Amino acid sequence: MEVTTGLTWLQEKLLQNYFGGKKFSLLYKASVHGFSGVELFRKCCQEAPTMSVIYSRDYVMGVYAQKSYDEIDKCSIILFVLQDTNISKCEMSLQTAWKSGIIWSCQGKLSINLETKDVKMASNIIETLGLPKNDPISIQEYEVFRCEDLLDKRKIQGITMDRESLLSTMRTYKPYGDLVPQVRILLLGPIGAGKSSFFNSVKSVFRGHVTCQALVGSDTSGISKKYRTYSIKDERDGNFLPFILCDTLGLGEKEEGLYTEDVVCILKGHISDRYQFDSMKPITSGHQNYIGYPLVKDRIHCVAFVFDANSVERLSPEIVVKIKSIRREVIKCGIVHVALLTHVDSMNLITKGDLIETDRCVPIKLKREAVQRKFGFALSDILVVSNYTSEWELDPVKDVLILSALRQMVWAADDFLEDLPPKERGSDVQRRK
Amino acid sequence: MNMTTRLTWNDEKRLRKLFGNVSLSLLYKSSVHGSGVTDMVQHCSHQGSTITMIYLHHVIIGVFMLGNYPRLWERFEEPHYSFFFPFRSKDNITEMHTFPLNMAPQATDNQLTYYLSAEKVFCLCPHNKTLYLHENVIKSLGLFQRRAPDRYEYLECEVFRVEGVKANLSYMKRIMNVTQHRNRLLEELRAYKLYADWVSKVHILLLGPVGSGKSSFFNSVKSVFHGRVTRQAIVGSDITSITEQYRTYSVKDGISGKSLPFMLCDSMGLDETEGEGLCVDDIPPILKGSIPDRYQFNPHKPITPQHSDFIAFPSLKDGIHCVAYVLDINSINNLSSKMVAKFKQIHKEVLNCGMAHVVLLTKVKNYNEVLQDNFLNMKQSMTSQSQVRNVNNMLGIPIHNILMVENYASEFELDPVKDILILSALKQMLRAADDFLEDVPLEETGNLVPFCPS
Repeated sequence: MEVTTGLTWLQEKLLQNYFGGKKFSLLYKASVHGFSGVELFRKCCQEAPTMSVIYSRDYVMGVYAQKSYDEIDKCSIILFVLQDTNISKCEMSLQTAWKSGIIWSCQGKLSINLETKDVKMASNIIETLGLPKNDPISIQEYEVFRCEDLLDKRKIQGITMDRESLLSTMRTYKPYGDLVPQVRILLLGPIGAGKSSFFNSVKSVFRGHVTCQALVGSDTSGISKKYRTYSIKDERDGNFLPFILCDTLGLGEKEEGLYTEDVVCILKGHISDRYQFDSMKPITSGHQNYIGYPLVKDRIHCVAFVFDANSVERLSPEIVVKIKSIRREVIKCGIVHVALLTHVDSMNLITKGDLIETDRCVPIKLKREAVQRKFGFALSDILVVSNYTSEWELDPVKDVLILSALRQMVWAADDFLEDLPPKERGSDVQRRK
Repeated sequence: MNMTTRLTWNDEKRLRKLFGNVSLSLLYKSSVHGSGVTDMVQHCSHQGSTITMIYLHHVIIGVFMLGNYPRLWERFEEPHYSFFFPFRSKDNITEMHTFPLNMAPQATDNQLTYYLSAEKVFCLCPHNKTLYLHENVIKSLGLFQRRAPDRYEYLECEVFRVEGVKANLSYMKRIMNVTQHRNRLLEELRAYKLYADWVSKVHILLLGPVGSGKSSFFNSVKSVFHGRVTRQAIVGSDITSITEQYRTYSVKDGISGKSLPFMLCDSMGLDETEGEGLCVDDIPPILKGSIPDRYQFNPHKPITPQHSDFIAFPSLKDGIHCVAYVLDINSINNLSSKMVAKFKQIHKEVLNCGMAHVVLLTKVKNYNEVLQDNFLNMKQSMTSQSQVRNVNNMLGIPIHNILMVENYASEFELDPVKDILILSALKQMLRAADDFLEDVPLEETGNLVPFCPS
């Protein structure tokens, strides 16, 4: 029999968050190790803090204790009940008894007996916890967990090393075949999705503190009305980094936002920096910002569709149709694309400890799957980040997410460059001579 | 009380990945729980499969134990499986040297000991923090170059429960061998010599319905040789086929290595509706090699010899040598009669041209179960599935050429089991192509230069 918890992922997540971002390691399980105080003691001595969970028919209840079972003589604990998604609690002073199977007791108010598999509580405690009165509480299962911080010094050290490694990788990155000096990554998405905020976050990572070059707002008119191609200087040596982030007007419903014709011009490299979008008409070849014969370096090499993780599922059908239409244009141009979910840190149930392993976090996994169903992106193309919005100083956890997403984008750009038709590549070289 | 593992965060992640992305729960730490076998056993017994990590000065010795830790003086009657492995804080360790055993250790008051034919091969003495290793173990694990002492002092001992592991011998053998087999296959394909030396590259055509994973398969093949997940062919889902052009992809060995001896040719998806998807009449020109890279398909009108892109006299080496029918394994039993008819029509053309052909089943969720423990053959339980029988009946393709993969479409990191499936499928395609090329009449092999009537 495999020793695994009976808690659902949601129950575990709720308890993790409730007790301050803990990770639970299962130490003792009664149905495997025996409903025996002796076995419980063996498995759980010198472990602290612990969470003991009792499974009853209709709810989960438990005891959170700061001290280990063998140290507890008399101490303060939290007795809690988890029903659906609600946690109620009662703090009290308990002592371990180790008599006749009773493992927790408190002067007639509470006794938990492992051998007879029952819990007895005084009526005022039952009332405090919101439990039905006069219902006998039988123990169907008893599990004990060690509680550790999800985010501890050891992990922060590992993440900081990852951050340094990623920074170095991005600084020394060279576009495929040296075909272009910098790859161009176009950020496309609905108004308020976090496109400019993502650029600011990327720049902040390389700057060393939070910075704000691209204006950010979320009003319905959208602040970004100009096409911008942002190069970023490496603070270390003053050279430009080998990628450019291109920011546009947000996509809106119906007539608002970006024209599809303008998108195609951007993709092909016809639009230069600071072009002022006109909501009444797309760019024409006579415009001063129009580049008639773009080189490979002027083109877009990777497109990132940017969505706010919290609102992506509520986008209107009109926006979804528009995005799909633009995606088809991107595909026609042969450009590789990814999807970027921003602000995952503000999703329901998410704590900072979840951001260090997003692939193991169930709410994030479900969100990515929802985006896949809605738009058709491959799951491996759906990246997640947490932008800098209110902080002043950098956080290695966020940095790693941002840099990892950026690395996926430049890899995608490399895949695009590798796939360029030879005649396009050659003609570019020819024109440069 | 510091109940935290000694492993760095990155080493913990590597250890988990080594065992197939498992979860680890720390059960015992000698500096916290006490330096006695009794202390170790009471925390670790009856917890399922475990990994014991013994921290020497420059290397960690790991012991993976399948099934329960022994209790004091416990003797197991049935076989009990373990293996030892070295674990170092280095990047890119791609293979795990192991020393397997098929009996349980004995736990006594002061020792945890493994015996092999009554000879002691491993002995852990927690009370004085020493570890004895037999010289054969030292050799197998690749420890130390010169003659080394057989007794080591260790700094710490930790035991983790392994979650997400199937508690059977198959699983353990898989963990021990998966990376070695992957690397062996990779080397084989890098060094692959085509049977017919007048062809420099085997052209493999991927044909299948919209959304069956054709372009994903190319991306997956490239990912294996590149060492990271790539996305050169654009994938995803949409109402119609994402792929509308004919593409002939070359694959490099590594990011800037030389080209491998095969090309993957990707076409528009098949659609059961007339006038949608790939024209059946476009298939003969594709097979012969008359359609160039990046030709834009038209669902309503096949290419004609008058088309400016049409290659009138392709040589045999420019044509297709192997056709891979790509099907989502989850949709085979629901194929419409129109789609089946379309496949049969296409298959008839392929047979007329005499090309090698295989079937590639994609989206195999239980990909860990496809191959036998030694990874050399498909399992009977997989080849006897109704999906395989249906394809076998529908197209008459022998079962050993009905291949199964799980493409890289949902994660960012490579998985050696998926790599093995992808590389094995590719190997079978190359073998099938060799059979076809071997059978080509001699007079056709001389046709290396396109015939120029003048």
